[in-house]
Amino acid sequence: MKHGFREPWSVVAWFLAPALVGLALFRLAPIAIALFGGFTGTRLTGETVWVGLRNYERLVRDPAFWNSIEVTLLFNVIVNPLQILISLGLALLVLRPTRLVPFFRAAYMAPMTVSLSLTSILWAILLEPTMGPVNGLLRSLGLPPQPFWRSEDQALATLIAVASWKGVGYWMVFLLAGLLLVPKELHEAAMIDGAGPWQRFRWVTLPLMRRPLAFVLVADTAANFLLFAPVYLITQGGPNGATALLMFEAYQAAFTYLDKGRALAISSVILLVIGVLAVFELRLLRERGA
Amino acid sequence: MSGAPTRRVVLALLRYSALVLVATLLLLPIYWLVVASFRPAADIFATSSSFGLATLLPERLTLEHWREAWSGELPHAVANSLFVALSTVALGVTVNSLAGFAFAVFEFPFKRLLFAIVLATFMMPFESIVIPLYVLIRGMGLTDTFAALILPEVASGLVVFLFRQFFAAVPKELYEAARVDGASWLQIWWKLTLPLSGPTIATASLMLFVHQWDAFFWPLVAAPGPERVVIQVAVARNVTLEVANWGGLFAAASTAILVALVPFLLLQRFYLRTVAAASER
Repeated sequence: MKHGFREPWSVVAWFLAPALVGLALFRLAPIAIALFGGFTGTRLTGETVWVGLRNYERLVRDPAFWNSIEVTLLFNVIVNPLQILISLGLALLVLRPTRLVPFFRAAYMAPMTVSLSLTSILWAILLEPTMGPVNGLLRSLGLPPQPFWRSEDQALATLIAVASWKGVGYWMVFLLAGLLLVPKELHEAAMIDGAGPWQRFRWVTLPLMRRPLAFVLVADTAANFLLFAPVYLITQGGPNGATALLMFEAYQAAFTYLDKGRALAISSVILLVIGVLAVFELRLLRERGA
Repeated sequence: MSGAPTRRVVLALLRYSALVLVATLLLLPIYWLVVASFRPAADIFATSSSFGLATLLPERLTLEHWREAWSGELPHAVANSLFVALSTVALGVTVNSLAGFAFAVFEFPFKRLLFAIVLATFMMPFESIVIPLYVLIRGMGLTDTFAALILPEVASGLVVFLFRQFFAAVPKELYEAARVDGASWLQIWWKLTLPLSGPTIATASLMLFVHQWDAFFWPLVAAPGPERVVIQVAVARNVTLEVANWGGLFAAASTAILVALVPFLLLQRFYLRTVAAASER
């Protein structure tokens, strides 16, 4: 937008104020509350006092905090590349508009409307070890039934699979939007030059998909970094801390242990990671854009 | 010579097998849940613990779970969620399209900075501020109110962005002509550009509606009382409180899924198109 209409602030403000005040109050102010509140504690009498770095010192010495950092990192290192690979595969699969493709596109987007809490409930039932239909299927195929959520070794992998069931269709939309913008002529030119399907994907499609892939990478990481409902509803962080994601730690600090300082300190750590991610994303997007 | 056509047929067959397999993985769980809500209680898990045709095709159907679910607290939770979601849609489309209009049409100081802040808020997922936001809302004395559920979700960086992208593509001459005719900017926004932006309004409404209908973490924290209980929290409470009543849970969960899924399926064409158009510019 090079030359917009120059209007006095009094006019512009009417348009901007409602949204900007909302964002300032409900998005930016909470950041300040978290950063500030991380340095405070609550006395038994109820008053809030400045405690300096004590909340953070306690966090650093708390093995439960480090376990949740470790679990969160492990979860994200696997779930994000996995979801992006699958979403890209799905987007390529529904790219060419043959007759039934609109149906499949809609079908792949369907799970994204199922809320995370319902996804959790649904998959808690489907993967129930004794009555659940998934183990029913395994038994009928002659395979041993699995404990899924109940096993320390399988719980995190199960969480990754279930988060992906809901997530891949959502991210597919952004990648499909990117793929639809790749000019056909480029593919035709490459084909004339004798490039096979893989070569065309690698040298024509992939370079043009930088922006959507960068966007999805960071947005997906941010979403998964904050996963809460399945942990709260199904595993409560267990078995034995195997699914204790950071967001659940923050919730527990705030509502189970009623330790506001600790909860806001963890929130600050989360916000810091999200902030770093956003800066990283803007970099990636700017390199090629405008 | 028949090598090429045969290869094409094999490839098409592979492609469709993959398409069907993925669709099955994604849709079958939803289908199973909805169908289970119509089965007599005795049939639900009897047919699933040993997998067979009966797992997928029910032999007997009943409305008992639906009747039971709808005579409990479910209607109250559905009404609360509908009120929250529809209010958010009405307020959100208005507020965010106004801001998107300003960013697309006006030139003003700090425009780039303000727009960068708007974009930054949309890269920051809502969950990251749930706990400090709770501290804020409690400080304002708003816990367990509709305001706590609606107001924080009205302004949305993503929706501002979608509207800005759409309004920026409207030819500038249109605005100039309307100005010459003596229309105020508010009239131009309301009478000229909003009627043009049907698909963007549909997409924004869908996003805001589904977001609010599916909301769980924030309502769990901000409105824990029974008065303002929303659908997702009500269904989740069923799991922990009445584990024995699976049929009722399935009927309630099916309600919660279908209310978000059906409008989405009707509007998904616009959704894909708007996302594609927004990422083009």
